[in-house]
Amino acid sequence: MSDKILEVKDLKVEFKTDNGIVTAVNGVNIEVYKGKTLGIVGESGSGKSVTALSIMGLIPSPPGNVAGGEIIYRGKNVLDIPTDEMRTIRGNKIAMIFQEPMTSLNPVFTVGNQIEEVLALHQKELTKQDRKDKVIEMLSLVGIPSPEKRANEYPHQLSGGMRQRVMIAISLACRPDILIADEPTTALDVTIQAQILELMKKLQEEIGMGIIFITHDLGVVAEMCDDVAVMYCGQIVERADVKTLFNRSRHPYTKGLIESIPSFDSTLGETRERLPTIEGMVPSLQNLPTGCNFQDRCDFATDICKGQNGDPLLEKYGSDEHMIRCFNPLS
Amino acid sequence: MNIYTYILRRLLYIFPVIIGVSFLIFILFNVVCPDPTLIMLGKHATPEQMAMLRTELGLDRPLWVQYFDILKSAFTFDFGRSWNTKQEIFQMIKNGAIPSLTFTVPGFIFSTITSLSIAVVVAFYRGKFLDKFFVVICVSMMSISSLAYILFFQWFFAYKLGMFEISGYEDGFPYFIPYVILPIIIWIILSLGYDLRFYRTVMLDEIYQDYVRTARAKGLSERVILFKHVLKNAMIPVITYVVIQIPYLILGALLIENFFGIPGLGSLVVDAINSNDFGVLKAMSILTSLAFIFFNLLSDVLYTMVDPRVRLK
Amino acid sequence: MKSTAVEASNYSDTKGKKAQKPKSLWGHAWTQLSRDKVAMLSLTIFALYTLVAFLSVTGLIASDWKNEVGLSYGVPSRDHWFGLDIFGRSVFAKTIKGTEVAMSVGFVVATISACIGIIFGSFAGFYGGKIDELIVWFYTVVSSVPNIMLVMAIALISGKGIHSVYLALGLTTWVNLCRLIRAEVIRHKDREYVQAAAAIGGGDFRKLFKHVLPNVFHIVIINFTLTFQIAIKSEVILSYLGLGVQGRPSWGVMINDAKLELARGYWWQLAAATFAMFFVLLALNILGDALRDSLDPKLKGK
Repeated sequence: MSDKILEVKDLKVEFKTDNGIVTAVNGVNIEVYKGKTLGIVGESGSGKSVTALSIMGLIPSPPGNVAGGEIIYRGKNVLDIPTDEMRTIRGNKIAMIFQEPMTSLNPVFTVGNQIEEVLALHQKELTKQDRKDKVIEMLSLVGIPSPEKRANEYPHQLSGGMRQRVMIAISLACRPDILIADEPTTALDVTIQAQILELMKKLQEEIGMGIIFITHDLGVVAEMCDDVAVMYCGQIVERADVKTLFNRSRHPYTKGLIESIPSFDSTLGETRERLPTIEGMVPSLQNLPTGCNFQDRCDFATDICKGQNGDPLLEKYGSDEHMIRCFNPLS
Repeated sequence: MNIYTYILRRLLYIFPVIIGVSFLIFILFNVVCPDPTLIMLGKHATPEQMAMLRTELGLDRPLWVQYFDILKSAFTFDFGRSWNTKQEIFQMIKNGAIPSLTFTVPGFIFSTITSLSIAVVVAFYRGKFLDKFFVVICVSMMSISSLAYILFFQWFFAYKLGMFEISGYEDGFPYFIPYVILPIIIWIILSLGYDLRFYRTVMLDEIYQDYVRTARAKGLSERVILFKHVLKNAMIPVITYVVIQIPYLILGALLIENFFGIPGLGSLVVDAINSNDFGVLKAMSILTSLAFIFFNLLSDVLYTMVDPRVRLK
Repeated sequence: MKSTAVEASNYSDTKGKKAQKPKSLWGHAWTQLSRDKVAMLSLTIFALYTLVAFLSVTGLIASDWKNEVGLSYGVPSRDHWFGLDIFGRSVFAKTIKGTEVAMSVGFVVATISACIGIIFGSFAGFYGGKIDELIVWFYTVVSSVPNIMLVMAIALISGKGIHSVYLALGLTTWVNLCRLIRAEVIRHKDREYVQAAAAIGGGDFRKLFKHVLPNVFHIVIINFTLTFQIAIKSEVILSYLGLGVQGRPSWGVMINDAKLELARGYWWQLAAATFAMFFVLLALNILGDALRDSLDPKLKGK
């Protein structure tokens, strides 16, 4: 396969809360390849954002704490890199964009200024004029019309979609190896969402970075990703390439997620009256059940799921790349 | 709304407010107030004496004339003469302003700088020991009566240790210094708790914003984030807060001046209260209100200039 | 790192919902508050002061404060914990009497101020238009006169004594609350649940009192603790200026007396009044912050 840029091994992240320690991420393994997109899917609280922040080294501490595992970036464990050195990677080699384009930019600096800042930080060889040119170049690259004018404007003068484009410009200014996109389109209108996704794909082809795309929207995953990891209660429950996942998902949770996507497919649309949902609530991370975390909401749960033989493990199923964590995989 | 229209409207709004303020002062001192001549002359005053005094003070004129006098004085600064000392009130206020400012201005500058710097440090160590320590200090300092501070400091540093003048004042540049050092220190101590708490809240409000997360994701150091990104945003509420406090400097500090015998505006007010000098009290109320109105206006205008979100809306 | 903090708190939320019915804002606030030991201690201290004040009003304790129980300026001893004053009266009894004054000033002033603030604020916010403009103009006028000048003026013209302290402080401390309530009512009045109430035929007052006010009441509570503190502190200053309580002890009067005593080494009146005041103000301060944290979701996690 293509070059592996990043590998997360057995990542475990804990948070201190009023009610004791909560394990937000528990033994996550993912890999990111050059030019490929890895999707991480899950409900809020499943640990997907925490995983992303750990890669950036931005887990707020306290209350957060990376309790175990490794994050290998180009042969080095990111978790062992001292803070100063980590800062030269952050925003430079590994960049991140966030869900809230309205508030993620600093309101009192111009857009151009905020893009220039990241260049000044990581590419010290550039002169002031070089940076100015680069800012304009980045703005037009992300499809912002009349970039010379826009560079001198403040964030509040731009629409949400435009601001997210600016965020992308900031994150890609140093041509990173990896771009982590944490629900980048959730807060945007559907049409704008499509434009931003299109833009990200185009830029990936140009720059060739690996993308970690975090979302709760499987529709977006189908469009964007090469590989997918489905997370539930801080663990990966199924991992496969995007085709396998959509056509032959084996975990009941994944299956449920896929079925709850609205569809115009006539064969499905006529037979079912309403969209199926997954019944029940995500269990609290503070008192997870023994055995499978999904047992209470699962239609296929049997006694073995209650943990008499221990917790389910993430294991290979069928093809090499397809992994699931389930005692009773669907056939 | 255009920014200039906004400023113009804001500017015009001060007129109804001045009319309201003078009306409020008029109601309090000229309408609701029990007959001041009775208080001034005492129980044994004859009706003739009282009538004479009323005429002298202009209290026998129709009420609307009395109101108009107050309103007029807000623009002409002609407040008449003191009921007590018979001096020109405007002159008394002019004389009192300088001694007040000699200690309130340095006190204000030092306390602002001190509490703002501590707030930045505390914001950097938020949630850690130092932060919690200062929060406790702030809350404790705010829980002690200002009167107790002044009494204790004066007794301990000036009387007991003899480090400063106990009280008194001399006019002229280098001569007043020994008399104002302790008042300045007390002013700082009195404001520190409130200021620090406010600045800390402002800093923390900003530190939890999403743009700070973006700045971290860019690879900026905490120091740059704090001093560049956070501080520039925090400056907006800070400037507003600072400007709004300026009228208090003019008003002086009633208690400090009274304790240290500084012949400032605070003392002027206290003396006026003790001698029922309504003329001086009305004048001081109007003047300080005007200062309030002006600096409020100024802070609003500054706000629109500092914050780009308002500027171009 | 807001998002992670929010996610982390979501966990406990879901747990709460699963275990029992979703609690009201007040239920949640109480749960959170009762877990905060310092806040609970503050609440206890405040309750204790209130109790002392109540017993003192009813004459059950410290009613004999006027009695001479020893020598002039007797030092603190086992018999007289806080020492004696110039007339040989017990400073301890005087401190209790002072507590009565302080607590009553706090309660009365905070109540007057809350009533004015709620009425003006909710009317301005609810009716808008001319009424709003008038009320905004009015509170702009009141807040334009420096508070201390206004307080002194009202205290001076309404005569000396505790009633004029109530009046002076009650009439000057409502502006802040009025502003907050007005803003909050404006935010709430167009919400769906209020619209729905109108649709099923609720009158204006019904709409205001049943649906809008309960949703802004937490502001009143938080503000109450703040006004309470301001009132206690201001009473001391008014007493010093001779505009406060007359003919009975208050903390302000005691601190004022200390002005002449301190140089002669009689520190106990100052200490007694200062500490009595310190603990109740501290408790109110902490309580106010804890209430803000638990009742105002916007400020959570700071």
